[in-house]
Amino acid sequence: MAGYRDTFVNRPVTGGDSPLPLRLARGDLDPSEAGFAQLKKRILASTKNGAFALDLSAIAEPSMLELAVLARAIDEAEARGVTARLAGWPPGLVHAMQNATSALLSEEAASSPDESVLERVGDTALRAAADWEGWGKYLYDAFNAIAVDPIVGRPWKWDAITEQMYLIGVRGTAIVVFISLLVGIVLALNGAEQLRQFGAAIFIANLVSVSVAREMGPLITAVIIAGRSGSAIAAELGTMVVSEEIDAMRTMALEPNRYLLAPRVIALVFVTPCLTVVSDLIAIFGGYMVGVSMGLGASNYLRQTARALLIGDIITGLVKSVIFAALIGLISCYEGMRVSGGAEGVGAATTNAVVASIISCIAADAVFTLIFYFTN
Amino acid sequence: MNELIKVEQMVVRYGEHTVLDGVDVSLERGEILAILGGSGSGKSTLLRHMVGLRAPEAGRVMLFGRDLYALEEEEREDTLKRIGMLFQSAALFNSLTLEENIALPLIEHRGFAPEVAAVIARMKLAMVGLENSARLLPAEISGGMKKRAGLARALALDPEVLLFDEPSAGLDPVTARALDDLILDLRARLGVGIVVVTHELGSINAIADQVIMVNHGKLIAEGPLADVRAMDNPVVHAFFAREAPHESIGERPIADLLRLVEK
Repeated sequence: MAGYRDTFVNRPVTGGDSPLPLRLARGDLDPSEAGFAQLKKRILASTKNGAFALDLSAIAEPSMLELAVLARAIDEAEARGVTARLAGWPPGLVHAMQNATSALLSEEAASSPDESVLERVGDTALRAAADWEGWGKYLYDAFNAIAVDPIVGRPWKWDAITEQMYLIGVRGTAIVVFISLLVGIVLALNGAEQLRQFGAAIFIANLVSVSVAREMGPLITAVIIAGRSGSAIAAELGTMVVSEEIDAMRTMALEPNRYLLAPRVIALVFVTPCLTVVSDLIAIFGGYMVGVSMGLGASNYLRQTARALLIGDIITGLVKSVIFAALIGLISCYEGMRVSGGAEGVGAATTNAVVASIISCIAADAVFTLIFYFTN
Repeated sequence: MNELIKVEQMVVRYGEHTVLDGVDVSLERGEILAILGGSGSGKSTLLRHMVGLRAPEAGRVMLFGRDLYALEEEEREDTLKRIGMLFQSAALFNSLTLEENIALPLIEHRGFAPEVAAVIARMKLAMVGLENSARLLPAEISGGMKKRAGLARALALDPEVLLFDEPSAGLDPVTARALDDLILDLRARLGVGIVVVTHELGSINAIADQVIMVNHGKLIAEGPLADVRAMDNPVVHAFFAREAPHESIGERPIADLLRLVEK
């Protein structure tokens, strides 16, 4: 396309004073392989002193196909270092093509690969700054809707919050139970293989209970909620943006953050710790099943679990789950509310919401672990 | 004071592209103002800025004598409650029934009990001939019914100004004409000021008292419909004559240029 553009925009167009004119007739612009090769051959043969000229007066009203053949042939000739001159086209057609290709030129310039590294770095920095500015304003508005509105006489919308709690919590329990049970079993089986070698199989109880309460339970729950509910939130809000429902709310003086964002984030913050407790219990039960099946004894296993598990481990996990919930809620709502571009935009927002939520939860978990490690 | 809306020298830009360039609009009580223009001329953008969806880069939007974008949040909300807008897609809340859609602003802004709001919602639905569809979801009704339900929702708070974005877009001629009749009926019964963004000649002729025409972001005509129709401006003339204005070859869009040589 770059060559096509250059052919009509940058090339000097002269009026019949070409030094080595090659008069082209309609049949010369043949798109077949043989015809195209023949044209290139004729162009090269007519080249003299690093230039060639084409007299196009016989094809004053070229078809799109003929234009494409001509443009491509000139491109290839120019790639060999020769300069082309065109002659014989009516001024109207030349003007039209210049306008058309100028439009292409400006479109391509926007994504030009010739942009310098410095320009690209600058563009990226400006975009990032705009994103952060958008995030800053969003967080300010979200904080107002969640924390300030109830103080200034705009109470939380409890009917919407309970509906979201049902959708996220009650409807999400089964999958949390299923995945947590498998994780507990897998964790115990992997640990057993190693610990048995040292005659310390009973410490499976320690391994499973502590790792589940502190790390695995909150993280598994967060990943499930991000995938299941984060995506649903982003898709739902995104669809509302596309169908102008959010704009309609604004014109009706119904602030979307209060009616849509706050109930979802608040519901997540209430429900996620509950699901985390469920996840912890079920994963420990999975470990218990493995321990008992290995002959460790039910009461022994439970006693060892109670001995290993400290209240601090459970609280640590629950605090994490609250942070994860807030991250998932804020990210998913943000992605949903900034959708543009119709169905494709909704799909992209949904993907972004899930990916960004999971990454941010894992990053937050790492930060938490480092803090706990160095403060204990 | 009869002036419900007054837009002064509105400038709107998207990036470096100027969408509206110094546009003035005025609407009085009981008047129907049609904003005309071709696709992409900036008329819907003008409407969206008039209802507070995005602040213009320059200029003022005065609603009921108050500068909309300079108001404190609560004052702004109070001002917005005095207008009703019908979006091009109707923009009904898809998870709510028609009755709930209309009851929502009544419950939130008037503090009505849901049972009372439901009765009023039914009355509003009756005004647009949808009293028997109150329990249906938006997905269960036709495009024309959605428009009428959107109009009923716009009427929920008894607004003093109604704004319509392409009300007859996507409707068959009979339904579109019924909607025009409804708009005239509302003006007669409620005395509201009405702004209609449209490029449907039939609707313009049927309902408009005053018109303004936007072309490439600039106001090129304004005044009573009859006066604007009689104007010499070639774009205005072409709009009403339903002909594409002649432009020099250099001003044609690229697709037209390529079609020119594709013979």
